[in-house]
Amino acid sequence: MPFFKTPFNGYSVKFSPFYESRLAVATAQNFGILGNGRLHVLDLSPTAPTLSNLVSFDTADGVYDLSWSESHDSLLIAAIADGSVKIYDTALPPTANPIRSLHEHTREVHSTDYNPTRRDSFLTASWDDTIKLWTVDRPTSVRTFKEHAYCVYNAAWNPRHSDVFCSASGDCTLRIWDVREAGSTMIIPAHEFEILACDWNKYDDCVIASASVDKSIKLWDVRNYRVPIAVLNGHGYAVRRVKFSPHRRNLLASCSYDMTVCLWDFMVEDALVARYDHHTEFAVGVDMSVLVEGLLASTGWDELVYVWQQGMDPRAVVLAFEQTSGKGKKLGDSYLCGMYSCKLEMNAIRWNRAMYGSALRCSWKLSINLFVVGHPFDV
Amino acid sequence: MEKAINRQRVLLEHLRPSNSSSHNYESSLSASVCAAGDSSAYQRTSVYGDDVVIVAAYRTALCKSKRGGFKDTYPDDLLAPVLRAVIEKTNLNPNEVGDIVVGTVLAPGSQRASECRMAAFYAGFPETVPLRTVNRQCSSGLQAVADVAAAIKAGFYDIGIGAGLESMTANPMAWEGSVNPKVEKFEKAQNCLLPMGLTSENVAHRFGVTRQEQDRAAVESHRKAAAATASGKFKDEIIPVSTKIVDPKTGEEKPVTISVDDGIRPNTSVSDLGKLKPAFKKDGTTTAGNSSQVSDGAAAVLLMKRSIAMRKGLPILGVFRHCHRTFAAVGVDPAIMGVGPAVAIPAAVKAARLELEDIDLFEINEAFASQFLYCRNKLELDPEKINVNGGAMAIGHPLGATGARCVATLLHEMKRRGKDCRFGVISMCIGTGMGAAAVFERGDCTDELCNVRKVENHGFLSKDAR
Repeated sequence: MPFFKTPFNGYSVKFSPFYESRLAVATAQNFGILGNGRLHVLDLSPTAPTLSNLVSFDTADGVYDLSWSESHDSLLIAAIADGSVKIYDTALPPTANPIRSLHEHTREVHSTDYNPTRRDSFLTASWDDTIKLWTVDRPTSVRTFKEHAYCVYNAAWNPRHSDVFCSASGDCTLRIWDVREAGSTMIIPAHEFEILACDWNKYDDCVIASASVDKSIKLWDVRNYRVPIAVLNGHGYAVRRVKFSPHRRNLLASCSYDMTVCLWDFMVEDALVARYDHHTEFAVGVDMSVLVEGLLASTGWDELVYVWQQGMDPRAVVLAFEQTSGKGKKLGDSYLCGMYSCKLEMNAIRWNRAMYGSALRCSWKLSINLFVVGHPFDV
Repeated sequence: MEKAINRQRVLLEHLRPSNSSSHNYESSLSASVCAAGDSSAYQRTSVYGDDVVIVAAYRTALCKSKRGGFKDTYPDDLLAPVLRAVIEKTNLNPNEVGDIVVGTVLAPGSQRASECRMAAFYAGFPETVPLRTVNRQCSSGLQAVADVAAAIKAGFYDIGIGAGLESMTANPMAWEGSVNPKVEKFEKAQNCLLPMGLTSENVAHRFGVTRQEQDRAAVESHRKAAAATASGKFKDEIIPVSTKIVDPKTGEEKPVTISVDDGIRPNTSVSDLGKLKPAFKKDGTTTAGNSSQVSDGAAAVLLMKRSIAMRKGLPILGVFRHCHRTFAAVGVDPAIMGVGPAVAIPAAVKAARLELEDIDLFEINEAFASQFLYCRNKLELDPEKINVNGGAMAIGHPLGATGARCVATLLHEMKRRGKDCRFGVISMCIGTGMGAAAVFERGDCTDELCNVRKVENHGFLSKDAR
């Protein structure tokens, strides 16, 4: 299936709600710790399994997340690590972009979500512990929601009620908000550890999923949140993002620092539907297409974006590339090729990459530690 | 700095679930020096469609003038094969080329410009492709490449060829007419008239470069060039030229194909060179053995915008970053013109926002061993990184072609060395007191994937399983 190599480390991927073959990717240099960012808009070729770069926008700091506008097919909202929120118009040339740059958050903006029902506003969640509500045409935020006691990692609109959203924070709580109310309407102490992501079920507007550093995903019914309706265990490290299927009520996708993307059916006992281990670094972005049932996209710190149909192998093209070009044998030349041949060879390539690649170039001792911690095979 | 530490702290929390209740990792986080160096340019991996890239660089063999393989070859017959090669090897439609710039030094200006234009026709270019020559003495070939890169950056055209040509058989060094007597009053102007050999003596004398050091450098150059030839390294960059040779005694014409440099002497030794008499000054140190050879040859380099190279699926050998200056020409005292690279290299490297330590490979023209050694020592460069396949003392120095020849040699060597070899520098001294240098970056890793051809059929099996 198609894949795309980005120059920077992937942070988020989202399908366009207007074009079935279009998606956007948020990337950041040096794992988002230091350096620039870039927003790519990619097109799936209708004939061949390839992704091509339609347009890309450079930013001064890493791009942590993005969301497509639900009202205009060419507008994109980008959450930037320098605390700014930028609006891009893909119909305009890169020189005319961004069309708006909104500076209010005092720390990294970690997620953004466009209102899918009223289609006039969007949310941003930031490490400055706040969530802000914006509209595209206003130069300042409409409202700031400040209750969380630590970084807010994610905020997601309810798919039915246009004023309701939920937020996930490092203060270990999940909060439900109604923009018409003064404060949060519900506080769910959902996990013992930091919560990194949340999403609403698209068919049952009372069901929320939360993903946490405790490696689990929990499903909650907001009418009775004393106990979760389901706990999905299976990821080996913190779960970074969770996303409900737009097509099937019980299906959700998640990605994790254990480098896998998982599909779950939360209503059955053996909940894990599929596990994809195509990424070779932390998998941090996953999305499901609204327009094509079963079409998935993921990105990760291995600088790769994959698009594949549920049930298929996301890296089929990579394997074929290795097979035809024969480059898989050449260690250190291209670390991508041949990394799937066997576990042993993969170790060798990781070692090589650690020596020549971006890992060491990043001038921070700790980011390498991050790697070793995150990697299931000890290099 | 603090921001980066804070970001790592947040991310690290995600990986340490057992401790997340207490946020106290301040002590375990500290900035440390990166083992790979901390030059900002080294971190840079951005790829822009506006970058100017080199997709092909070829040269003819370099042959001794008057005695070597090209002694009976017309200069235009040297240029035509390399012009044709850059088009044929890349399957480029010659109509798409926006300009051809040829560096050439000794021949009379207008005649050489006509010869080059004729060579373009021999090479199969249509009349619609223009051509001009450029003369910055010994760096003309490099200047031609830099001019094309600059014109592409400026948007004058998207695809261009920088080339170099010199037949020192056809056009020996000479001065036509009389010298303006006013020159007596201008010391610098007068020094422009010094034979190059005397400027070399001046460098050796003023900076204390001994005869033995110079002879040793010459031997080393021959040894490296011979090793590179023997291992077939030059086969990647040399385009064989079919021509004729006339026997000086019988006058008999013989068709030949020249594909090997003929000036390299693998068996030369310090004791052999020590027997040679100084060529320019009685008590001097510069001899025929430790100076560059007088040669015939040509080279051509195909440049284009990165976006076009990607669209055509062409391999990217080298890159000029669109956002940095990567070429510098400087002026120095004409009496010691050989010190040019010692000034030009730091200027170009600084303009590219790099440090000298970031450069993995150098091609510094060996006009004379004296000035080559002075520049190497002055900049404290690692000898292992310079002229790894020999230099002008062994291969030859066809003045106008040398710059483009160095581009071909450098980029093919960088390609062989892989990702470890990211930045290369070409530099040379220039008669009448100048120096030029250019910084080249190796085509980077992101190119590789974007340029791979599409796979139509595959069996999902590894190579071993078939």
